Amino acid sequence: MFDNSSIIRCRKIWKLYGPGAEAAAGLRADALDDDYLGGHGLVPAVRDATLDIRKGEIFVIMGLSGSGKSTLVRCMTGLIEATRGDLFFGEDNLRGIDPKRLIEIRRHKISMVFQDFALLPHLTVLDNIAFPLRVQGIGREERLARARELTDLVALKGREDRFPHELSGGQQQRVGIARSLTTDPEVWFLDEPFSALDPLIRHEMQDEFLRLQATLHKTIVFITHDFEEAIRIADRIAIMQDGRIVQVDTPEQLILKPADEYVAEFTRKIPRHRVMRTGSLAGPATELASGSPVLASALIADVASRVLTSDRPVPVVDAKGAIIGAIDRERVINTIFAHGAR
Amino acid sequence: MVAAVFWKSPQRAVLMIRPRLIMLLGLGLIAVTSIVPALREALPDWVVRLPSEWLLEPAEPINRFLAWLSRRAEIGPFEVKEITRGLAAIIEVPLSVLQGVLVKGVEVPVPGGEVRLAALPWWALTAALALFGQWAAGRRAAGMVVLVCFYFLVLDLWDEAMLTLASVAIAVMVGAIVGVVLGAAAHRWPRLDSFLNPVYDVMQTLPVFSYLVPILLFFGFGPVAALIATVIYAMPPMARNTTLALRRLPPSISELASMAGCSPRQRLLLVLLPAARQGLLTGFNQLVMLSLSAVIIASVIGAGGLGNVVLQGLKSMQLGRALEAGLGITLMAILLDRLSRAVASRRPSHGRATTGWKGHPVLLGSVALMLWGWLMVQAAPASGAFPEALTWNSGRLLDGFFGWVNVTFADSIGAISDGFVRHLFRPLKAALVALPWLGVVLFVALLSCLIRGVGLALGLTAILTFIAITGYWDMAMTSLYLVTISVLIATLIGFPIGVVAAQNARLGGLTALVIDTLQTLPTFVYLIPVVMLFGLGDFPAMVAIVAFALPPAIRYPMDGIARVPGSLIEAADMAGCTRLQRLLHVQIPYALPEIMLGLSQTVLMAFGMLVITALVGTRGLEQETLVAVSKAKVGEGLIAGLGISFLSITADRLITHGAARLRRRLGQV
Ligand SMILES: Nc1ncnc2c1ncn2[C@@H]1O[C@H](COP(=O)(O)OP(=O)(O)O)[C@@H](O)[C@H]1O
Ligand SMILES: [Mg+2]
Repeated sequence: MFDNSSIIRCRKIWKLYGPGAEAAAGLRADALDDDYLGGHGLVPAVRDATLDIRKGEIFVIMGLSGSGKSTLVRCMTGLIEATRGDLFFGEDNLRGIDPKRLIEIRRHKISMVFQDFALLPHLTVLDNIAFPLRVQGIGREERLARARELTDLVALKGREDRFPHELSGGQQQRVGIARSLTTDPEVWFLDEPFSALDPLIRHEMQDEFLRLQATLHKTIVFITHDFEEAIRIADRIAIMQDGRIVQVDTPEQLILKPADEYVAEFTRKIPRHRVMRTGSLAGPATELASGSPVLASALIADVASRVLTSDRPVPVVDAKGAIIGAIDRERVINTIFAHGAR
Repeated sequence: MVAAVFWKSPQRAVLMIRPRLIMLLGLGLIAVTSIVPALREALPDWVVRLPSEWLLEPAEPINRFLAWLSRRAEIGPFEVKEITRGLAAIIEVPLSVLQGVLVKGVEVPVPGGEVRLAALPWWALTAALALFGQWAAGRRAAGMVVLVCFYFLVLDLWDEAMLTLASVAIAVMVGAIVGVVLGAAAHRWPRLDSFLNPVYDVMQTLPVFSYLVPILLFFGFGPVAALIATVIYAMPPMARNTTLALRRLPPSISELASMAGCSPRQRLLLVLLPAARQGLLTGFNQLVMLSLSAVIIASVIGAGGLGNVVLQGLKSMQLGRALEAGLGITLMAILLDRLSRAVASRRPSHGRATTGWKGHPVLLGSVALMLWGWLMVQAAPASGAFPEALTWNSGRLLDGFFGWVNVTFADSIGAISDGFVRHLFRPLKAALVALPWLGVVLFVALLSCLIRGVGLALGLTAILTFIAITGYWDMAMTSLYLVTISVLIATLIGFPIGVVAAQNARLGGLTALVIDTLQTLPTFVYLIPVVMLFGLGDFPAMVAIVAFALPPAIRYPMDGIARVPGSLIEAADMAGCTRLQRLLHVQIPYALPEIMLGLSQTVLMAFGMLVITALVGTRGLEQETLVAVSKAKVGEGLIAGLGISFLSITADRLITHGAARLRRRLGQV
């Protein structure tokens, strides 16, 4: 699905707010403990964050409000400069980057969707979507043509001439999404894009987001405070707590092996069969297994009815078709009801 | 409270003494010593008034400095005079073109001489302005435009009205550009903001009269000087609203600009300013209204226009003519307010293209009409004149009427006025003037320490000491007494009206409408009826100040009480409160911070009007600024003007910080 080369690399990123944050930048990392920070009135929005974003993956940053998600992402986009640590975007180190180069990167390689939409109130839907091209000095006809393609893509056809205040919240965020895709960026940042929407609309937008990504194959950094949303869309999730990254893993691994009690608390309410894949539940292959096999990468939820209606274990195969194990009723039932028993 | 401290054993009492308590005691001590005559007499003389040999007399050095600056100083290769005169010439161009097009006619150089083009004909301009009104605010506004135009035409005030309009238009243009640039710069560099804010405070409270002459020194006599004075007076709200609107934008808007890869220019022009449009236009409305107000005042230095008619009318006691012009100013103010508000609240909507002329056929029609009318009048100059048979001069009639009023009611008016002067004005004035200056300064310092902190105390001490040490203390107290009485009376009238109006939505709406209209009127207008009825002196000045300062005295209590949360009212009702109890124990206490803000607005408005009442012969600092204009005493005018500015800033700071403190205490952050 994606090659493993990293497109963004964060190395020991710190972001401190407060007077004297600059002075703290020169200290040794282990000197920056709670006592020091509290004593100097510094707020550690991000502490010691190290992670890689790989090409083509959907990377979700999850954490409660105030845990530093937005700050971390704003460091990645150069909107704010990290107090310490290094941040690489492709070949470029964002620390001390030439402002012209940063503008180039922003114009062509990255884009962002905002929680509060950040639409320009004086522009129509079409002009809002075309805005990033206008900044680049591209002619009106050309940029509007491109914007029209995008209105189709996000199902806003027929509303091109509306103004933002004439749209519902969901529609406004569709404009935000379309605008962020205008320049066909490599990396797409979304900061809680659906948090301001009603639950039903949110769900619908998540579906559409996944549908879009299926055709676009962007590298995505997606922020949310909603663990279920994270589970639904993520390839990998980073969980943040008080500025620290507590764990980075696939949804399944987070549930199977939570790094600590804090992470476990999040995973507790999540139905396991919606996260776990057949492969990790499969027992050893047995001769008893019969019937057409299921893929190891399939979610338990999707194969549950097949396994439950079969008298015998069902064989599990990997992507190449080789049998790697078998799965039986008992395992499926235990998975579905397990978390209720805990 | 004193008892509470000495209740404990003596040693603990020492530990218990809190600075606040000491300050409170100090306040009481200072007040008693300053007020009780017997104690006051025991004070050394310099505490009561600084002896004249201690006074600084900065007027003369200021005069010399300004004279040097305006005549001989050089910046690089240029003399300052050349720069300022050059600037004046640049502003003069659009102003004289606009005045020419609207009133005087334009001279266009052509090969072999000059061609004189007649001014726009009244009918074309009326129709074009009506179309503009239609575009901005709909059919009723268009009708109003036509009515107002005919008012000026019929009363033969058209030329004056157009001169005023031209000055307002150019002042607004300059003010808008300067204001937006300064406002955006202050947003970009917060340091600049904290420098500009006190400067704006002074600009907004400094009497126009006090800086007219310095401007004359630099820019020469005439309409441009008036224009610059107008911009100084009217620009600050535009700049402040710009900064405020930019600051209120959600951070994501600015992040969007960055993420789209905007250059600093694009960020400001394509993203920030358009997104903050609504706030900018609020400032624009204030800019328009203050410009009108100042253009009228500036008639004192020969700006011409409607203000000049009023001024001449008042001087020669042709009150009818003054009233006609005053009413014209009122109509123009209401119209400008309505139109600039309508333009401000226009929201783009689909089905109405927003870019280019295409989307605005009405506006396009308006421009086309003007051009066509202008061409027509060149061919047939006679068509530009309003038929004389239709004009009408009510002056005589009105003069007669006022003569009759004065004769008939002279006794009763005189009696009222005498009563006020004898029993209220003179005692209060005497009491204020008798106060030792040091007592007042220390009292204010301690009080500001209590409600805000040492910073404010130092600032206020400095500016009040400035008044004392420049020898203007007596005049300052004379100004203060008039303002105090006026604010008192305005509050006594306004507060009950506000409270009653707050109880009833319809009454509230009606009151708000009347207040809003009153508030758009320029200060000058209030003088006219007052002078007609009461003549000259402190009493008519007080009436004018009360009338001008009344709107906030009504508005703030009204809004404050109307804003008390419904749940509180219900709780009071459920506790079995009578209406009166509910008002006294729930509504008024809750609304108190807002009521205090209203008081500070009332005080600021009162000072604003006080400045103008110099024209009816008051005797405080404001008179000194007016005298400075007629005698070209630059330094004296500036210092007296600063005195007024400092007095009103002091009053404003004390009240607003007091209100903020109260608000925190009530938990209404
Ligand atoms: N500009 C700032 N100044 C001071 N503190 C800030 C600033 N921005 C964020 N913070 C603090 O940093 C922490 C993380 O904030 P943020 O990254 O916005 O969290 P999240 O996006 O996860 O809700 C919060 O405690 C917040 O108060
Ligand atoms: Mg956030």
